[in-house]
Order: sequence, then C-alpha cells, then structure tokens
Amino acid sequence: MAKVVKVALAGEGGQGVQSIAEILAEAANDEGKNALYIPNFGVEQRGGVSIAFVQISDGPIGAPKFQKADILIPLSPRSVKRTQMYAGKDTIYVYDNSLIQEGEVNDNIIGLQYFDVTPPCPTAEQPNADLPADMIAGEPKTCSFTKPGQGVNPADIPEVKKVIAIPANDIAKNEMHPRVFNMIILGAVIAATEVLPLDTIKKALDTKLGDKFKENPELRTMNFTALDRGYNLIKSAM
Amino acid sequence: MAEVSLKGEQRVFMTGNEAVAWAAVAAKVDIMYGYPITPQNEIMHYWTRLAPKYGKRFLQVEDEISAGFTTLGGVMSGRKAFTATAGPGNVLMQESAGMAEMMRLPIVYIIQQRGGPSTATVIYAQQETTLTCFGGNGEGHRIVYSTATHQELFDYTIKAFNSAWTYRFPTFVLGDGYQAKMREPLTIYDPEERGQTLVKPVALVGENIKGKQFKHLRNTYNTEDELYEVVMANQRDWDAMAPKVVEWDQKGCEDAEVIFVTHGVVSRAASTAYDQLRAQGKKVGYFRPITVRPFPDEQLGAAVKGAKKLLVAESAYGQLLKMVKTALYGSNVEIVPMLRPGVGITTEEIVEEYSKL
Repeated sequence: MAKVVKVALAGEGGQGVQSIAEILAEAANDEGKNALYIPNFGVEQRGGVSIAFVQISDGPIGAPKFQKADILIPLSPRSVKRTQMYAGKDTIYVYDNSLIQEGEVNDNIIGLQYFDVTPPCPTAEQPNADLPADMIAGEPKTCSFTKPGQGVNPADIPEVKKVIAIPANDIAKNEMHPRVFNMIILGAVIAATEVLPLDTIKKALDTKLGDKFKENPELRTMNFTALDRGYNLIKSAM
Repeated sequence: MAEVSLKGEQRVFMTGNEAVAWAAVAAKVDIMYGYPITPQNEIMHYWTRLAPKYGKRFLQVEDEISAGFTTLGGVMSGRKAFTATAGPGNVLMQESAGMAEMMRLPIVYIIQQRGGPSTATVIYAQQETTLTCFGGNGEGHRIVYSTATHQELFDYTIKAFNSAWTYRFPTFVLGDGYQAKMREPLTIYDPEERGQTLVKPVALVGENIKGKQFKHLRNTYNTEDELYEVVMANQRDWDAMAPKVVEWDQKGCEDAEVIFVTHGVVSRAASTAYDQLRAQGKKVGYFRPITVRPFPDEQLGAAVKGAKKLLVAESAYGQLLKMVKTALYGSNVEIVPMLRPGVGITTEEIVEEYSKL
C-alpha cells in the first residue's frame, strides 16, 4: 500500500488556510499523485477556526478525514486549542508563534456566509485596493493580523514527534506584506511534508495566478520569496 | 489548468458538486430546476455557468416542493430534467417523488446528505438513507445509487438518467456533504464517445403519437381495487427491474471472519481498513451496496455465509443496519453496529472497532 501523507491546517477564518490547502492539493494532482482536500465548513464560514484536511498519496485515498495528522499546522492560538485531537505521537507540529489578535465571534458575524463579509483578514487594517469599495465599507471584519494579540500558550501544545515554531505572521507583516502570510505557510508545508518539490507549487501558482502575475510581476517575486522563506524556515529547523 | 471540456477524456480535480454538474452535461440533460440548500448549492451554480455554453436551461423556483414538481413537469414534456437538494429539502421533495412513483415519471434527484433531523448541520450525514429509499406515501418504487468517489458521482449521475428513462422509476444519486465539498481527481468524458448509449427522453403526456388520442397520466384513483391493480403492477415492474439494476462491491468475503458492511463515503474508510488489515494477515472482508434501493439482499446473504461477524458502520443511527437485518433475516451471523449519526467515520476508527471485536 502506498503511504498517504495527511496534513491538517487550521487558522482564523480569513487567514488563507483553505487556499493553502487547495493549492497544495492541486499541485499534487498536477504531479500525477492522488490528492484529496476537504474543508470543514459550517454555517459560520468566517469568524471561527477554519480547518482544512489534505491527503496526498501515490495510491488510493480512503476516508476524506482522519484521526491523526502527519503534519499539523495551527496558525493561531485558538486553532492550537481546536486541533489537539489531530495531534499524535508521530505528528510534526508547525505553529505560528507571532502575537496574533484573533477575530471576535460576536452576534453580527455568526451565521454570515463568506460572501457577506469582507474577505481575507490582512485587509482589515489595510483595505485592498483591488477590492470594490462597497465590499469593504460598513461590513463586519472577522479578525486582524496586524494588531498584536496574545500568543500561543505553550501549555496548549500537545505531545508530538516534533514541534517547530515559526513567526510567519510577523515576518509577513514586518518584512514583506501581510498578504503573503499564506505563502510562507505554504512553503513551510512543502518543506514539512516532503511529498512535492517546491517547483511544483511555483508552477501551480503560475497557472493559477498567471494573469495577475503578468499584470504585476512584483507580485510574483513577492509570493515566491515568501514561499522560499517559509520553506527554508522549516528546512533549517528540521 | 487547461479548460475543462468533455472532448476526449480529461482528468480533472474538482469538487463533487462540480462533478455532478459536468455529469449532467455529459448525460445530455436538458434542464435543471433548483432551489438552493447547502451543501448542494454549487451543483446549481456550476450548472448555471455551464448551461448557456451547452444550450441547456435552468429555472430557480421558490422552494423544494416546487423544484420537485417543476422537474416533473419538464420530464412529462419529454425533457431530461433533474434537481438537487439535501436534508429538509429532501423531505419536501418526497411529495414529488411519490407522484413520480405513481405516474412512473423518470425524474432524477441528486441528494447531498447533511445532518438531521430538521436544519441540523449543513455538513454531512448518512441520515437520509431511509428517506431517500422509502420517503413518500408509497412502496419505495425507486432506484437509489449511493456513491463513494467523485468518479462514481460522475458515472452514476450519467447512469441515473439512463436507469430512470429505461425503467420509468424516480432515480436518486445519494451523495453527502463530504462528497459535495471535497476535491479529488476524476476523469470526465462524453459517454457516447465511449460507446455508451444515452436513453432518449420522450414526451409522456399530450399528443405524443400522431393521430392517436391524447395521453393522460393518472395520479388519483376512485376505488381501492383500481389502486391495488396499479400499485401491484408497479411492484411487479420494480421486482422485475431489481436484479437488472442492483449493484454492489465486495472484497475478500470468501474466507473472511469479519466483514465490514458500509455504503457511500463510509465505504472508503472500510475499504482502506480492509486493505490495511489484510496486509497484516487478518481475515476481514468488505461488502458495500452501491444500490441501496434495490438492496443487494441475495448478494449480501451469499457473501456473509462463512463469516462470524459483520461490522455495520454508518453515519446514521441504524438506517443501513435495518436494511442489512432485513436482507439477512434468518441468518445466524452476529451483527455489530457502529452508528455515528451526523459525523464522519475514518479508517482508523473502523480498525479500532475491529480490534475490539
């Protein structure tokens, strides 16, 4: 039986967890591997912890979800707590030790579908120029990754094979751009899983974002630099 | 990724909902009638995107009762028509499914099960198995395919239209929220290019044969005897059809001591558990009804002859279990249920339950 690599990513709604998972699974599929990606989804599509499950294998893949992840990547203090059940003795655990302010789950956010609220959180403090103004004005925001909050409580980190802390959010915010946070994480995932070469992801991104990259070549450089940074962070820690 | 199309065979990576929409195009469906409900919304969304490119139509109606009956209207007028729903929407659509049984209308429903009862979760369950097989005030004269992979969602959606138009019973593809929302690879194709025949729809009411009188379908009967004749004729047709449409999958049942019985997406977990345990030399077997209606009674009976125990696992509280017990009435094999209403079942959990036996 071919080995199945099981990855679980978790973060605040809007942190980009689902798009990281989707790009990872698509790139694996492009490589001719079997890949399965499933988001957890409920009625609170933004404003809570969002979890993505990805499995990659050369053989068939069984159930869409699993008990213990080979690679578990919680990206906020709250997701560290929420994902403890997926941590096992063989799990490689990568978490973000930046001081992230979590989104507040309050009455005006619960029950809203994703199209009712302003998308990805780095925009909360820095509205994106490419978003129509009416999508930003007056809409509830789910969280902020530019304001510091409390970090991960070390006591919440489960017993696993290996724990790696990376300040991805701080690096993105201070050295790059808040929006490339998920690229740093994607690079880290590639390094931790070792199922795909980094070039595959770059190829997948070129396909997916080709038009945007052509319009703005700087965007491509920025994304790829972030990807390399995340990759090297893990490689040097392992 | 290259532009997705049905020309030649194409390996694609998409959600189950998208696979269903493509399958409907591949099956040369004329029209979808729909009302949104999670987790099947994207079937509608993708269909509305694809429909104009392929000269197909779409009508959004005011609720699921209406979606079911407008689809029947399309079917009566000789159009290949379908609708899709989940959970409470499936409950409302049973009214139209009953009419389809009575009037023998080849309607196709795609069901992406969510948690129940009532609104419950928008996520996942196998709690609509009984409803989909036996909902309505009749005898369950229908065909229900329970899929497990995106490839099956595509293949069985195409097959559902053929079965419906061949046997004139309402036909369901029973998926679930996991299958709806997850992404995995599958190959999409034009079935006619593969040499498969697509059954052509015909108008079922009106002056559909030139020079003959208008055809009328009855849904109301005046006397008990009249109704009895009609229901029994339908029952005979259904019984004659059952062996031709029944489908199942099995592995290693010949020498198995313990056989896993599952359907739908849970059979992925059971199949992997089977592979893992067999690799360790454990005598396990795997049995999966693909049609849960008609249920492969005889096939299950034959498969479990030498087994000591069955582990019946489902994301519902005993809906598959009831069908298994009915199929095995009189058998002495011990049945161990693993019932998890509204939550997924993983490979690890099946292996763990096995180790407790």
